[in-house]
Amino acid sequence: MSENRQPALPARRTLIRAALALSGWVALAATALPGGAPLRWIPGLLFVCFGPGLALLYPQPGPLRPGARLEAAALAAPVGLSLAVLTATALFLVRSFSGTAFLVTLAALTTLASALPGLPLPAATRGAVERAGATPVRRR
Amino acid sequence: MPQHVPAQVEGDTAGSAEPVPPPGAVPGETPRRVPGARGPRALLTGLPLLLAAALWGLSLPHIGFRSMGEYGLLDRLPVTYYLSLLVLTAGFLAALRRAGTAPWWPALYCAGLLMALKGVPAVLYDSERYPWASKHDAVVNHLLANGELRPDEHLSGNMSAYDQWPGFFTLNGGLVRAFGADGAATYLNWAPIVLGLLTMPVLILIYRTFSEDRRLVWTAVWIFQLANWVGQDYFAPQGLAYLLHLAVLAVVVRHFVRPGAAGRLRSRSWPDPAAAAVPPPTGTRQRAVCVVVLVPLLVAINAVHQLTPVMLCVTLLAFSLTRRYRNLGLLAVAGALMLAWDLTMGRPLFTETLGTLRDSLGQLTQNSRAGYAGQLTGAGPELAGRANVLMVLAVAVLAGAALLLRRRLVHSALPLLLASVAPVPLFVVNDYGGEMLFRVYLFALPGAAFFAAAALVPAAGGTGAHRVRPAVRRICAVALPVTLVALLAGFMPSYYGKERMNYTPPAETALVTRTLDRAPEGSLILATTGSFPQALHRYDRLEHWFFAEQELPENVGMLKDPAGYLSTRLPPATTAYVILTRTQDIYTAGEGLLPPGGFAALTRDLTASPLFHVVERTGYGVVLRYDSP
Repeated sequence: MSENRQPALPARRTLIRAALALSGWVALAATALPGGAPLRWIPGLLFVCFGPGLALLYPQPGPLRPGARLEAAALAAPVGLSLAVLTATALFLVRSFSGTAFLVTLAALTTLASALPGLPLPAATRGAVERAGATPVRRR
Repeated sequence: MPQHVPAQVEGDTAGSAEPVPPPGAVPGETPRRVPGARGPRALLTGLPLLLAAALWGLSLPHIGFRSMGEYGLLDRLPVTYYLSLLVLTAGFLAALRRAGTAPWWPALYCAGLLMALKGVPAVLYDSERYPWASKHDAVVNHLLANGELRPDEHLSGNMSAYDQWPGFFTLNGGLVRAFGADGAATYLNWAPIVLGLLTMPVLILIYRTFSEDRRLVWTAVWIFQLANWVGQDYFAPQGLAYLLHLAVLAVVVRHFVRPGAAGRLRSRSWPDPAAAAVPPPTGTRQRAVCVVVLVPLLVAINAVHQLTPVMLCVTLLAFSLTRRYRNLGLLAVAGALMLAWDLTMGRPLFTETLGTLRDSLGQLTQNSRAGYAGQLTGAGPELAGRANVLMVLAVAVLAGAALLLRRRLVHSALPLLLASVAPVPLFVVNDYGGEMLFRVYLFALPGAAFFAAAALVPAAGGTGAHRVRPAVRRICAVALPVTLVALLAGFMPSYYGKERMNYTPPAETALVTRTLDRAPEGSLILATTGSFPQALHRYDRLEHWFFAEQELPENVGMLKDPAGYLSTRLPPATTAYVILTRTQDIYTAGEGLLPPGGFAALTRDLTASPLFHVVERTGYGVVLRYDSP
């Protein structure tokens, strides 16, 4: 796993954000395909597992500490699945559950999250409380 | 390209500008070469993986899962299957030597092990593996049919608990609709693989928080997989809740270190050479923000499962006993969310459980036994039982050795030790339907696997006080492969020794489904146990009584006159169906609920009784009808 890296280049970051923003809508569009078709369930599974979580965690502002990328990758599924659990449960509670409502809610959330900076997990970036003398340096 | 990197801080390698090649790295190679780690060495590292995959694939057509005998899958797996596991282990050990510079190889081997160990049923079985998974499939169908949650509805067998902790089932409702599948049955056999793959990065994240030694980290992941024979990663709320639980722990150990609390762990020389630097401390406001970030995970855990929030709270409580991780705010929020869920959505079962706590409190022996009742019976189940005990002992002994031999690493990784021991006191509280033993083991496993690996992988390049004697290195070089093979040998009977109970032929499922579809609403369904396929199909329309799920002496009494025993206990004006199937026969015999031959005698006596009329009989079971006079 690569470490101590500058966040991805702006163009690449924009591309990743755009892909994440669209992922839910692709999964939704795939529901037009016949039930059980791989082109339907694979985007659906990938989106529900990783889409919302990556959108929330991935675009971290500022330089990253070691393990920050692994952290975003590892926590993407738990965070995304948590949101999916809460979305589906809330829809059942208000008696509005349907596959479309489930995917639309998650897709909208993902699109919104991908437009915002990543969740502020302090020890992942330089934002954590430092001991005296720990200052960033520029290095080539 | 200019790069912003943190400055080198004394004792803080997390902030080092030039990452020191981690232990396991081959001298002369740097992490920069990782992406291009191709060539002959990579070929040699990858070859065993390809060979293992080929052997595994070749073994599949020869696995006689439809004709399992008393040893479950163990004697139905061909030699090529076992060879594939050995080749995989050898390849992993080779990949471990380059773990510092080529981390993808151990990762691929770990994923390969998961697939090799638990993928056989997913690929081969033509029906839902494990009757309890089909029960959960029935819950998903129930929610999709109703379109709402009914936590207060009174359903037979406490089934309304699934409406009270519905998160796993509502999520799968969403997935079923997104996939356009007929039900979760189409994919549920893949749950161990999917959950295993999602859990692995979280485990790595936790382990890397405490160790820089990649060989130790990957060995711990490998041991975790081999020691995770408890089977709680099937299609069930526990598997998902466990993943979320580990994710919360990962965030806590990385982002909730209190300033000035790491003490000598911040020193460069004191900690074990394999230990990672303590994560940077966070201020009160930062930790408060992190609590907010964790709230969706915490709420989701509460929505998914009853027991996991309790495990999480006791773990956070144990963390709070240390200076490094004293975060009472987080503990208070986790506790408040749990209580809020238990008193609203989960109120019916919560209050009922509180009512029974007085009886179960302090019943240590009772709470820590496995299963409802009875002793494992038969060659396969008895072998599985013995293997279970030996696996627990092996992991405990290895972890115990690390606690004695690597005390400085234990000090660094104290949260892992606390996470392992925190669930143990729950034995005092409740037996969780005969499952508490397995759950406590499951929650103790991440820490235990880490320390077990620490006992087998000595620190690389230690000098001075940390110097590892060459003799110790030689012993570990032998002990590691021997232990991994021994754990592999223990996993197989532990996981597949009782597999005959888990594979349910489609014809048996069809018989049960047909019967339950025809049963009039409100009918009572009788069976010896609920462990048969689709036992709870249409569970909100039917009543259930699994009459042999009790102590063996009571069942021996019942067998003297089963027709009389049942008929005198049925309410007047009851229409009841007795379903007796092949899987029940195997389960009641294997778990020791009925004596040898008891199920056959029961079937014979009920069939011969004038009180019961045969509705249908196939090679997979018999259905009887009882109409009360």
